[in-house]
Amino acid sequence: MTGINRRQAVRAMAATASALWAGRLTAFARDQADHAHMVAASEASAFVPKVLSAHQFETVGVLADLILPATETPGAKALQVDRYIDVVLRTAPDADRRRFISGLTWLDTRSRALFGRSFVASAPEQQTEFLTRLSDGRVSAPEAPAGIAFFEAIKGMTIAGYYTTEVGLRQELGDDGRMVLSRFEGCTHPEHQ
Amino acid sequence: MQIIAPPKVYPVIIIGSGASGGMAAWNLTQQGIDVLLLDAGEKFDRSKYWTHVTPWEARERRARGEGPPAFYLDTKEQPYFTAPNRPFDLTRVWGHGGKTNVWGRVSLRLSDLDFKGPERDGWEIPWPIAYRDIAPYYDKVEQLIGVCGGDDDSDSLPGSTFLQPPPAPRCGEQLLKKGATSIGIPMVAGRRANMTRSTRGFPACHYCGACGSGCDTASFFCSADHLLPFALETGRLEIRSNAVAARILVDAAGLANGVQYFDRKTGAERQVRGKVIVLGASTVDSTRILLNSKSRQHPNGIGNSSDVVGRYLCEQIRFHVRGYLPVLAGTATRNDRGISGEHIYMPRFNHRAGHTRPYLRGFGAQFWNTGASVGGAHGGSEQIPGFGVGLKREIKRRHPAWFEIHPYGEVLPYAHNRITVGANGVDRYGVPYVKIDYRIGENERTMAEHMADTVEEIVKAAGGELVGYQRAALDHNGSAIHEHGTCRMGADPKRSALNSFNQMHDVKNLFVVDGSAFPTATEKNPTLTILALSWRATDYLAASIKRGDL
Repeated sequence: MTGINRRQAVRAMAATASALWAGRLTAFARDQADHAHMVAASEASAFVPKVLSAHQFETVGVLADLILPATETPGAKALQVDRYIDVVLRTAPDADRRRFISGLTWLDTRSRALFGRSFVASAPEQQTEFLTRLSDGRVSAPEAPAGIAFFEAIKGMTIAGYYTTEVGLRQELGDDGRMVLSRFEGCTHPEHQ
Repeated sequence: MQIIAPPKVYPVIIIGSGASGGMAAWNLTQQGIDVLLLDAGEKFDRSKYWTHVTPWEARERRARGEGPPAFYLDTKEQPYFTAPNRPFDLTRVWGHGGKTNVWGRVSLRLSDLDFKGPERDGWEIPWPIAYRDIAPYYDKVEQLIGVCGGDDDSDSLPGSTFLQPPPAPRCGEQLLKKGATSIGIPMVAGRRANMTRSTRGFPACHYCGACGSGCDTASFFCSADHLLPFALETGRLEIRSNAVAARILVDAAGLANGVQYFDRKTGAERQVRGKVIVLGASTVDSTRILLNSKSRQHPNGIGNSSDVVGRYLCEQIRFHVRGYLPVLAGTATRNDRGISGEHIYMPRFNHRAGHTRPYLRGFGAQFWNTGASVGGAHGGSEQIPGFGVGLKREIKRRHPAWFEIHPYGEVLPYAHNRITVGANGVDRYGVPYVKIDYRIGENERTMAEHMADTVEEIVKAAGGELVGYQRAALDHNGSAIHEHGTCRMGADPKRSALNSFNQMHDVKNLFVVDGSAFPTATEKNPTLTILALSWRATDYLAASIKRGDL
């Protein structure tokens, strides 16, 4: 496996997601992980979203935290995945960025129709109910496929952003980070031999 | 017009410094022959590799304006063209060592199943060599570069007594191996050019798993670390960097007598004179140089009276499958970095009784990204249903349990799969661009079905579950980065461009030593064979020079 091969495989497998653009945006977010985290961090306390409006940015933060909430480890928003997503969108392909923004608009429109409020203004149970429908593909509005694809996109980007942080990779997934070993132990489970 | 030729005539000029050109330079200088080596790029600085840089350290470095070496040639600098609706991924590294700086290191011996394949099934010309011709060179290459592997030996993957100990399989690999062998599908230790023992002064692999960023300790084979410095030590090698070779020049008799190149920094044209030219610029660029070397003596491109140069481009089909092993879900995360990529390999078996199907040639499989990934959550995590605490827990549970299978199948050589020059204008140096016209056929599509069946059987036998599976969804053509065939060797000068020692039938002082010389692609990764063939060809070349034949 080379770096080359791995990148291509990520791209090839991402293309198998049910919505092509969502897979493409997720692959792009993975590819841009270093860059996006770096920019988000460098803009630090003065961070101002450049692609998303203040309301859209707030919505992305709520969604990211619903997708990967705080458990024993912090949630996505605490790890600034909302900022990460704004930075990724800055250099994402134009058409995919537009689809993502339309997805956010669709979310509010549907939320108002269902609950009479924007997504972030809805009650937490309502937000969860709505995402459950999206996640299960149980939305019937004409724009439903675009909404489902939007959910796939933000879910993929949130996962890409979260687990490329030190907290995500080390604390949550348990990577020991060791890069100099004198021997490679491999599988030592007697039941696997 | 007065032409002032540069005074020096080099005994040998080599174009390209990757596996093929690097080996040629190493072998010829060891044998006392002076060599000028032209490379289109520069030496990559190992001290600047980002081998052990975590994702978050990488961010801090980028914020300071730093970056890792840019190994890959930007297509904006050097575009290539493809036929309409037939995309082809071309990956090029212009710099000392070429693609061996970042290669996958899978090092498989071809067998007589490969060399005699065309004889057996009648598709296109046979190789002019057999396993016994190349076996001594495989032995020597493995000892020189350090290849790890197991003690297996079969008709599709000949064994070797020169392999270093293989790294132990990861849990997922152990289960895949157990599952596959239980249903009669062979699985062996991966053979990879990672040194698991300190070799020739280079330290053993330290299992950081970051080989794709280049190795900062030179513990896997790279021509720029393991061949070129030793060639320079002889005092017989001169390397000219940033020399983008354009054409091979000829004398009145049609023999090669020099190389025209352009300085990549200044764009200036230069010419150098040599008695023998060895071309090892990688399949596509070598072919481009040959086809652009048109003259009165060689109107169809140098050495191309047979019209085979540029034809029979063959590569490999492949697809990528991922899933997880429920029995490993929820187990403790282990450090699965290893030698990066797979520690196991599935050699070809489709020729054996009970496995044959109506198509020609065969396939093998690799298993990279099996186990706990180190660059983030495994890509399959996005396919886990739901969201919230349940999703987060499941991503963590599956983290040590992911596996991937990457089968590679041979693409037959077809005359219509072609590299041409001249139809798409010229590059910044005024040299015609290359165009690739490539497609697969019915044989490959039939084989892909067998590849998919095999993957499904292995997964079932290992107790795995596929995730986001799309049956036989082939990756882009060219993505395997194993181009072959466009300057093939053969016994018949009407149907091949090179003889069995990589010497051009038409031009006896021109040798082509890279993958373009292969008459067939096989299902195997080519670099070990390229090294062996280049060593063999330059032994022949050195002997010819010493006899006074060249």
